[in-house]
Amino acid sequence: MSTKVAGSAIKDGYKNVRVYLQGQPAWIKAGNLVYASKGNIAKGNIVLIDLRSKKKSAAGRIPRSVTIPYDTLDDRLDDIPIKAPVVLYSDSAEEANEAVEDLRDEGYKKVALVSGNYAGWVKAGGKTVKGPVVTDINWKRKLGKGEVGKADFLKVASGADTSAVILDVRTKDEASAGGFKNAIAVPLDQVGSRLAEIPKDKKIYVHCTTGARADMAAQELKKNGYKAFYLVANIECEGNDCDIED
Amino acid sequence: MKKTLTKFIPFIIMASFLVTGCNQDTSSTTTATKPAMSTKAKKPEGMVYKGKVVGKSNKAKSISIVVGKGDKAKTVMVKFDDKTKGVEHAAKGHASIIYYEMRDGQPWATVVKPKLAKLPKGVTAIETAELKSMIDAKADFTLIDARPGKRYAAAHLPGAKNIGTKEYKKKAPSILPKDKNKLLIMYCGGPT
Repeated sequence: MSTKVAGSAIKDGYKNVRVYLQGQPAWIKAGNLVYASKGNIAKGNIVLIDLRSKKKSAAGRIPRSVTIPYDTLDDRLDDIPIKAPVVLYSDSAEEANEAVEDLRDEGYKKVALVSGNYAGWVKAGGKTVKGPVVTDINWKRKLGKGEVGKADFLKVASGADTSAVILDVRTKDEASAGGFKNAIAVPLDQVGSRLAEIPKDKKIYVHCTTGARADMAAQELKKNGYKAFYLVANIECEGNDCDIED
Repeated sequence: MKKTLTKFIPFIIMASFLVTGCNQDTSSTTTATKPAMSTKAKKPEGMVYKGKVVGKSNKAKSISIVVGKGDKAKTVMVKFDDKTKGVEHAAKGHASIIYYEMRDGQPWATVVKPKLAKLPKGVTAIETAELKSMIDAKADFTLIDARPGKRYAAAHLPGAKNIGTKEYKKKAPSILPKDKNKLLIMYCGGPT
């Protein structure tokens, strides 16, 4: 944390130390730009977008780039996963900055730039590739710690996998329209007091309507010695017919 | 209960100043503060939780917060209602102080506050606008991102170098200027 590093610098003899307490979230909120580091651009689980023309992109681009010329960005928004960290570059700083603003306005929370844009990448000794451009985006969110993937969850929901049980922590109201077959329903605020209803000898896959409460419930269960995992997905049910959107 | 809480307030405030801000994603830097020793508290675990909020559900009206350090870190769930003050200060990933009381064996939040950061002696704070104008003017200073390397790699402020909390000795000699009168500015993921 910044205050600790500042303390270390003071101890080390630095006389002029300041701390930007609001930090990066405030910086971004004020509409300012942030930059991805070279290693993350080369290997990170990101969507890397080349905003230049297809012609320029074909002649030389950063490996793993998807080519989306800036004037077509609007049309491609549906293809860019909203949860993905997006890294952009162009040959025009103005264009790249505008694209950051556009994406943030559209609800993308992690939008960063390549420092110095394409020229900056080349100058920093970054690798490039040429040839036919790539336009398809293949990005998959990596599961967070303690999360269960949709596929694994569905195996249990369908009864194909019996090593786990599903715990529904939505409110009684929410659950009244329907839920997964064989799920145990215990609203989040009652999980702690109704542990007896939740089997301890199986894995527990927890869901709610988005994942926020499932996360909290899984933590509560883990605290009590369960092997619990949570599903991050939007869930709507009618009877036993549930729509899962991750 | 309210009266008991009022008695504790000076201690709570004192304790809050002992805690530094800027949360990290690796470990919680906070503790559940014990109540004052002057009175015998009904609940030995204390009436305030401090730490990183790991979840909040407006539907279930509950907040999950990690309290305690290292191996002793644990997640507690606190309920809130319409009377709870400052619920907006509890947001996932942000450090909060939650004052609570016990009802039917469950903690209920009475007041939620953002956790204050304490600056080391000799260090001054800087705000967004001033930092922005200094970066734009290419002023002579070293900007340090004090978050873990992964977070820095994903996105950082223009020109920032990375020195994580535990990396000072290793990285400072190559990153910081030799002249110790030069300005250093540190930032991380924000205090609240």
